[in-house]
Amino acid sequence: MEVISVIPRRLDVINKYKEQGGYVAAVLPIHYPRALLRAFNVLPVEVWGPPRVDTSHGATHLQPYICSIVHNTLSFLQMGGLDITDVIIIPHACDSLQGLGSVLLDFVPPDKPIVPIYLPRGRRESDIVFLTREFYAIYQRLEAITGRAPSDADLMKSIRREEGADEVLIKLHQSHSCLPLTDIAFYRLIRSREYLPAETFIELAQAVLAKDIKKPRDGIPILLSGIVPEPMSLLEAISEMGAMVVADDLACCGRRLYPPGRSGDPLRRMAERIIYAPPDPTRGNPIRERREHLLRLIENSGAKGVVFYDVKFCEPELFDLPTLRCELQKAKVPSVTVEVDINDPLSHQTLTRIEAFLEILNERR
Amino acid sequence: MSGIKALGIDVGSTTVKIVGVDTEGKMCWHILEQAEPRVEDQVERFLDHTRQVVGTLDRIPLVATGYGRGLVEQATRSVTEITCHAKGVYREFGHGGTLVDIGGQDSKVIGISPEGKVLDFVMNDKCAAGTGRFLENTASRLKVPLDRMGDEALSVVEEVPISSTCTVFAESEVISLIAHGVPVASILRGLHRSLIKRTVAMIRTVGIVPPLMLSGGVVLNPAICRLLEEETGEKVVLPRYPQLMGAHGAALFALEILNDGSQVS
Repeated sequence: MEVISVIPRRLDVINKYKEQGGYVAAVLPIHYPRALLRAFNVLPVEVWGPPRVDTSHGATHLQPYICSIVHNTLSFLQMGGLDITDVIIIPHACDSLQGLGSVLLDFVPPDKPIVPIYLPRGRRESDIVFLTREFYAIYQRLEAITGRAPSDADLMKSIRREEGADEVLIKLHQSHSCLPLTDIAFYRLIRSREYLPAETFIELAQAVLAKDIKKPRDGIPILLSGIVPEPMSLLEAISEMGAMVVADDLACCGRRLYPPGRSGDPLRRMAERIIYAPPDPTRGNPIRERREHLLRLIENSGAKGVVFYDVKFCEPELFDLPTLRCELQKAKVPSVTVEVDINDPLSHQTLTRIEAFLEILNERR
Repeated sequence: MSGIKALGIDVGSTTVKIVGVDTEGKMCWHILEQAEPRVEDQVERFLDHTRQVVGTLDRIPLVATGYGRGLVEQATRSVTEITCHAKGVYREFGHGGTLVDIGGQDSKVIGISPEGKVLDFVMNDKCAAGTGRFLENTASRLKVPLDRMGDEALSVVEEVPISSTCTVFAESEVISLIAHGVPVASILRGLHRSLIKRTVAMIRTVGIVPPLMLSGGVVLNPAICRLLEEETGEKVVLPRYPQLMGAHGAALFALEILNDGSQVS
């Protein structure tokens, strides 16, 4: 579809933003306050690896059992891939990312500021208070880096813009199976949110939503759970096998459908948005919540099974999996687990596992 | 051999198998060979051989399975080895349970319902540990013929612990043990134990539903069955032709195509 072919390239977006006097932040997975960064005229550009990087640079500092996202990020940084950015934001999503933060702060310091974000593990009032204070600390860091000091009104304006983009993102997810997009085109659009300014993303997304054809696509409907759909050719392979992704619980996509905040205090409102996002093991949400969330997604989307597509050595994901799969089995929802390294091409074994799983679903139809 | 009504071919990483079934789905003919580097040529040769047996292949559907199933251009359809093994084994035993298939470079555990449907499965990862290649590698290092490994391992009670995480590490350990004068049979028993422990971890992922059924060429090794029974406390059952279960299952799917009762797309 033509809208997809006009998604701006990441590097072009970065260059344009900088030409207009803005700053660019490299942001590691998963949760961070977009609105806070944009209020300082900092464009967040997310770094999910990237895939297919020479990992020998990062391997000097990291153990082999650290996931490929962290390995690749460090390698990419050491190869100069993040030179164009002005600041690196590292949310404490997992021990490996926290470790990467330590490596960058203490052993391989880049020539730009490192800003860690400590995320609380729960949904208590104290978690919101903690995260609000954390965002205030980041405010102070960004103030020092950019020399700006956005007012509460500036922050609220930025929040409303991001809430608008997330509202459109939610609509895209809800209309997924009725949109005139292949799975790979859909996820290219969704993932452009990783680097596009909210206003550009809204424009693109609304153009696609205007073409909602209301006619569900054909194929065995599945739910994709995990971290990141890399390599993206996975989505083409799933289509060729006669299936379609109708919902996701991916860290880079469906787990970041942030609801609007409630508070009139901008920093607290940003914290609320992250705290009340869909359940995520990296934020310490219990398996019970994840189970309920998955069952709700399955019911709403008509998915017949769940493919857990995980990055090797991703502890928060893999710790949950046996119990989560067992819970789904009790609810008569079949699932399969596939582990990948984001540097590898789609392997025969990966495809066989998914194909065999689709054969199981097909038998049940 | 005019009784052949449908064919299944299992192009594995170590062996290639073709099975013919009669109208009842009974295995009535087969060929099994070591896999050659040019699989397409080998498949063509298999089919030439099959033509000599049945005349023409025009009305005989062929379903391909296994690692190289995508290379069988002549196939009417391809079905994964997981589904085909379950189908073949169910046909053999007539009941569900937990199927452990240990192949040359691949192993899998499949939960099968009482009706013969695949409920769940797990496959080993890219690493060769837990597969036939694990034993093959170390057998060559110990200079013990593959078909003698199991008996040798069962000939002693003492065994030495060996890494179950990596075939290459295991080989290094074996070299070290030989250098320290450890008897070969004890090393072999330790190697089998190591493979079985890895297999049992996969079984526990799926969950044991008795009986334990075995397939794949590696289960012809008697130490595999014995140690698996020891580790799980479950009786294991073997089909008559463990290496042919995937190809038999594929042939049964081909027969369904012939009968217009296809259940797998």
